[in-house]
Amino acid sequence: MKNFIKIIKVIFTILLFAFLIAIAYFIALGPKERRLEIAENLQSLYFSQSMFDILKLQNPDYSDAYFEQSVAFNKSGEYAKGFELLDKAVELDPKLHLGYRGWIKLRKLRDFDNALSDFNTLDSLTPKFVDAPWGEDIDFLRGECYFGKKDYQKAIEFFKQNIKNQKKGWVDIYSFVYLGLCEYELGNYEKAISEFQRALNQSEFTPESYYGMARAYQKIGQVDNAKENILKAESNISYKRDDMYNEFLNEIYLSEILDFKQSLNLK
Amino acid sequence: MKNKLNLLLLSSFLLAIILVIWIYYQTTHRIGDIVFDENIDNYDFIVCNENRIKQYYSVGTNYQGGEKTIKKELNELINYMSFNESGIITYRFVINCKNKVGRFRVKMIDQDLKENSFKSNNIKQIQESIKNLNGWKAGKWKGEFVDSYYILNFKIKNGKITDIF
Repeated sequence: MKNFIKIIKVIFTILLFAFLIAIAYFIALGPKERRLEIAENLQSLYFSQSMFDILKLQNPDYSDAYFEQSVAFNKSGEYAKGFELLDKAVELDPKLHLGYRGWIKLRKLRDFDNALSDFNTLDSLTPKFVDAPWGEDIDFLRGECYFGKKDYQKAIEFFKQNIKNQKKGWVDIYSFVYLGLCEYELGNYEKAISEFQRALNQSEFTPESYYGMARAYQKIGQVDNAKENILKAESNISYKRDDMYNEFLNEIYLSEILDFKQSLNLK
Repeated sequence: MKNKLNLLLLSSFLLAIILVIWIYYQTTHRIGDIVFDENIDNYDFIVCNENRIKQYYSVGTNYQGGEKTIKKELNELINYMSFNESGIITYRFVINCKNKVGRFRVKMIDQDLKENSFKSNNIKQIQESIKNLNGWKAGKWKGEFVDSYYILNFKIKNGKITDIF
């Protein structure tokens, strides 16, 4: 009986130590890339944050750990903490993280000047290469920054550059939409209509273009065309450009389309 | 020998218990969680399920007409409110499954994205204005309206609110 209890104790001790070693491996001893991936997938949990802290402690120069750790803070609106981490990632590897930091400054904070500064620095670090921060053309993003700053002339330059950067047939239709919006803001309504039309030539499901055209046609007194386009904007609203995290600078809503429709005396 | 075995078993058992408790805590708490605080939160605001408050981006929580509309509806506030500093005031709060808002928490940063503080009167006033907005739409998850966290940023520049997003 004594031996039996002893064997049970030994088995339990081994099992418990195996458990402890497995957890230690999972959290602190496995390959750092694998642990980063796990922590990234558990993003926002305190557990994930602890894994990032351990990774940083073991590898103080591992820029990806700082970058990934920042995501949960920026998503939850804790920007001071988020940017403290992101700044460190940029300091360690500017080429890798400047684009993302600029993108976050533009989309999350609408901090156009600082976003531009990041995009321009990144561009200077990668000569003869068109960067794509977070998968979007750098010139499109710079165009958005200037659009946000209401510097429409400069925005036009960058949206046009973005169109040049793309291959024919692959141009992001929102470059045309933004060009239309910039021309509209500058009072060039006919030019705006032709830019909106370029977006529609690529995709007829672009409610932003129909809405923009309706407003521009109204400005030049072509009310019938304005009515036709506002109806198309309404019927295509489900295809509008949106994002689950943030409102876009050029985002449109059904309510404003309906208001505009009413102002044209349409039911 | 017997004592050593007992000691090993006991210590490994205690370590495993501590680890399990730690992992449980770490996997049930998230960055940005807002727990009811009787000192600052209103008892009238009730969440529908304390254990299931989602993120706005996971369940499509929104404001009717978007932040663009909030900007229009808070136009008066935007015009008269003045500040001494620039930066961003961020409100994180809960929109419950019945489209009501509460449990406000505020974070503030300056233009260099470092922690900052703004006039507390203004902070409180903006918070009340957010509460009075009528277009909040609760998020939906598996066909059911649910509670969720939302974020609203107020950009302050040259002493005025210049953007809400």
